[in-house]
Amino acid sequence: MNNMSPEVALHRISPELRPLLCSVVRNGRVGLDSTNCLRVTDLKTGCTSLTPGPCCDRFKLHIPYAGETLKWDIIFNARYPELPPDFIFGEDAEFLPEPSELPHLVQWDAGNPECLLQLVKELIQQYHHYQCQRLRESSRLLFEYDSLLEDPNYGRNMEIYAGRKNSWTGEFSARFLLKLPVDFSNIPVYLLKDTALDPGEDVALLSVSFEDAEATQVFPKLYLSPYALGGSSALHIPAFPSGGCLIDYVPQVCQLLTNKVQYVIQGYHKRREYIAAFLSHFGMGVVEYDAEGFTKLTLLLMWKDFCFLVHVDLPLYFPRDQPTLTFQSVYHFTNSGQLYSQVQKSYPYSPRWDGNEMAKRAKAYFKSFIPQFQEGAFANGKL
Amino acid sequence: MAASISGYTFSSVCYHSANSNSDHEGFLLGEVRQEETVSISDTQISSAELLQVVEIHNHDPCAQLFSFYDYAGKVSEENLSSILKDRRKNVIGWYRFRRNTQQQMSFREQIIHKQLTQLLGVPDLVFLLFSFISTANSSTHALEYVLFRPNRRYNQRITLSIPNLGNTSQQEYKVSSVPNTSLNYAKVIKEHGAEFFDKDGVMKDIRTIFQVYSALQDKVQAVCGEVEQSERVKEKIQEDVNKLKQQIALRKRKTAEEERRLREAQNADSHSTPEENTEPSEASLLSRITFHAPSAPERPSTSPNPPSYADLSTQDDSLPSSSSPPTSAALLPRPQAVGSPGHPTPGPLGMGLGLGLGLGLGLGASSNPVTTPSTPYLGNGDGSSSDSLDRQAAGQEDDEDDEDDDDDEDEDSSEYENLVSETTHLPTVVASVLAQGRPAALSPDGDARGSQTT
Repeated sequence: MNNMSPEVALHRISPELRPLLCSVVRNGRVGLDSTNCLRVTDLKTGCTSLTPGPCCDRFKLHIPYAGETLKWDIIFNARYPELPPDFIFGEDAEFLPEPSELPHLVQWDAGNPECLLQLVKELIQQYHHYQCQRLRESSRLLFEYDSLLEDPNYGRNMEIYAGRKNSWTGEFSARFLLKLPVDFSNIPVYLLKDTALDPGEDVALLSVSFEDAEATQVFPKLYLSPYALGGSSALHIPAFPSGGCLIDYVPQVCQLLTNKVQYVIQGYHKRREYIAAFLSHFGMGVVEYDAEGFTKLTLLLMWKDFCFLVHVDLPLYFPRDQPTLTFQSVYHFTNSGQLYSQVQKSYPYSPRWDGNEMAKRAKAYFKSFIPQFQEGAFANGKL
Repeated sequence: MAASISGYTFSSVCYHSANSNSDHEGFLLGEVRQEETVSISDTQISSAELLQVVEIHNHDPCAQLFSFYDYAGKVSEENLSSILKDRRKNVIGWYRFRRNTQQQMSFREQIIHKQLTQLLGVPDLVFLLFSFISTANSSTHALEYVLFRPNRRYNQRITLSIPNLGNTSQQEYKVSSVPNTSLNYAKVIKEHGAEFFDKDGVMKDIRTIFQVYSALQDKVQAVCGEVEQSERVKEKIQEDVNKLKQQIALRKRKTAEEERRLREAQNADSHSTPEENTEPSEASLLSRITFHAPSAPERPSTSPNPPSYADLSTQDDSLPSSSSPPTSAALLPRPQAVGSPGHPTPGPLGMGLGLGLGLGLGLGASSNPVTTPSTPYLGNGDGSSSDSLDRQAAGQEDDEDDEDDDDDEDEDSSEYENLVSETTHLPTVVASVLAQGRPAALSPDGDARGSQTT
């Protein structure tokens, strides 16, 4: 029943209800975290047990929200597919939205496959309002919320989950999930490892958990969509300052992220520039290069009848970090059967040079280094 | 709050629900009443507990879903009225049946419930949720039911009790307090009820049994009265017997003394003269008796009750020279003549005065004491048998006092008879009193006296 693939669910559901569920499982993305689709589990039927299948008309819908997963029961009647569904909001027994705020319920149209999905989105919106109401139990957190709400950058893309009070300690906790308004669109596609999957929209979500109402225990966490910036591992966000508030902290993180993004974008362009310069300087000597990400370049050069390869690896944070040069002999082998090579990480370099300058300097360096390399190759390598 | 539903209503709801191919809903009809229990215990003066009892009498299933509300869950007053009609005032709740869902009120159910509470004007409207769970291979099905009162904040779930649903092998079949509201049932009961119930609504059998009980009680009371009376009579007679015995004893002693004195007097005197006046009354009495004075001793005016022996004994003391002795003498059992009638010796006479028992027996011993064939020998202390003496005395008296009043004679004889009968009836008592003494030597000596001391 659990981890049911969407196809299985669609197969078991009553045919009249299938279109509604289809749009939910295939296209259903609600909330800020739209990387995960809505999940359907526990398909059951409301018909008598002797009714021949498929006749399932009730199921549990898993909805990601503010870092939590809401599990709502949706109840149809297979014999009367034109009727709107009923809901059981799981543990949120006190959540009772006003039907007038749910236009897709009031004007339920079973013929419209999107109707259920739209209704779920409206319910989520109401749920969000409900949670914000619950924030009123803590003035501190309410302040946080209100201040963020005022900022147009963040106010519209916020999900609040006001957690249950710890019945033992009376502690109140809440989680803020904010979508950071960072533009990832200019990030080049080269970071995609696996192009088969649709990565979706790149998104950065900042989750800030308040474990207590006084905001003394705050745990921020950054979620980056897998393909933005190569994952969040490379990004360290500052700790939440004690006594600080979200309205100050969030822009900080945002800025940091933006800077990084800029950096990445710039880096891309810089690399491109670099490669282009090398191409023009070394012309026929270029064996191959990464034409998408511009991260690699291989040159085949000759000096005094000595041929050698130069592999240039451009790091992520180029030009801040200098490229790695790997010299490789075409004649000599090492004991392990590899071509003899030497890596050079430090050589005359400055990030302020432009591509041309870097190419010229690189050329000069090659000339100075090659004799040394040749000796080494002859000395340590075997033919 | 407690709730109960009759078995047939419950099964009817289940039947309707199970046969529907989708979710099913309807209304619950019944009544709510308050029960107040006042308990008094040693620890507190009194505590009153208010218990609200919900009784579900009947249900009204809805023909289809959304019959009284729209998609938004808004209840339509018109539709509600047309469904419920005049049963509206009996509505105490509503129910819903849905398969394979959680035991929790859903979104729409909560919205509808709020509106129904207001429209029907029932502040504590209940909601009965049925949910039917089947296992995947349809091998096991469970019908779960929960009764909610959603208008309260806490304790929303109420236990619903269904009488006689459960393990009845350990308990008896209970009569439910939920009445049967079926019209047909009421009709039949009314028709045939007269055979079992009288005009007051009490079962006839009960009345009959009560009558039997009353009759038995009366009889018991009557018997009690009789027993009481007979006990009193017995008591009285027992008293009499005791008194007579005392008198007997007293007379014996006196007789013995008399004898002694007479003997002494005899020794001093050569002639024995009957002394009527100087002798104690008993002696004079006896002498008179013995000599059979031609004139019948005067009898006192007949009294309805013959003077008992108790009376006689009191009279004895005051009989120095009155004429009443003859009467009492007449009533005394006549002792048998001692020796020759002409020569009554005071001694023996005196002895005989002690109710004549001693002498009598003395005589009897010589003549034939066995004149008491039927009555057992009771063994007087002095060897005399009161029975025999009485008999003889009675016989004598009868002969001598023919002209006596029949009443007296009858009374006397009856008295004697009573005595006899009493003695026969109380053999143990008399025997115990008398038997302690040695059987007297049957000689008209002074031994009898000695032996009389028991």
